[in-house]
Amino acid sequence: MAIGVRLDDLLHERRMTLTELAEKVDLTLANLSILKTGKARAIRFSTLDAICRALSCQPGDLLQFEEGGDSSD
Amino acid sequence: MSHQTAALPIASVVLRILIVLNWVWGICIFAILCGTLFAHEWTLTALGVTTGHPIRGILPGLQAIAALGLVVIGFNYMVLKRLVAMVDTVREGDPFVAANAYRLHAIAWIMVGMQIISIIIGAIGKAISTPEQPIHLEAGFSVSSWVAILFAFILARVFAEGTVMRADLQGTV
Repeated sequence: MAIGVRLDDLLHERRMTLTELAEKVDLTLANLSILKTGKARAIRFSTLDAICRALSCQPGDLLQFEEGGDSSD
Repeated sequence: MSHQTAALPIASVVLRILIVLNWVWGICIFAILCGTLFAHEWTLTALGVTTGHPIRGILPGLQAIAALGLVVIGFNYMVLKRLVAMVDTVREGDPFVAANAYRLHAIAWIMVGMQIISIIIGAIGKAISTPEQPIHLEAGFSVSSWVAILFAFILARVFAEGTVMRADLQGTV
């Protein structure tokens, strides 16, 4: 997937753990891990909204297009 | 929801019983076919066919019907085996898998084969039937069977689409 998820960097910048974020956005730790490791195939707007609120960031801060990345699933 | 939980084990058992009955039926047809080859007069009498001079002409027809019947037994087994596998996936709580879409598609094609054989058997039955020795067979063209085949093809497609949607949903966070 050529879309990268910068969740790890954002969590590090905000000194927050994945477990704390999971509690804030009301998502399971397993689903957040899927998102963090780039294994997710899609992200709901509601999830994006919750994460951006919890991390006080923009969707563009969380997702980035990686030039030369694999275009397949 | 208890009727659903009971329905699956029942379906599973019934399908397995049908597989056994199908093989028993196949052995019977094979015995009849052997009888028409090695003891044709006795077999024809047992089947209620009068063994006179004009009646002997129906023997190749009956042998062909029995041989086609054996092919249908094989087809029945292929359908039942796939249905058992599909019911098992439902019992395991994971029916929307690509394998089930392929199974349904295969079942639809097997049903086409069975219908073609049924039409051939019906035609043979008409050809060998005479006013003196009428032969009535539950075979031939059937509108309801072809509608069922169409339904199976559509259901296979729906299953395939459902499987893709489920795969997408599984990776959605």
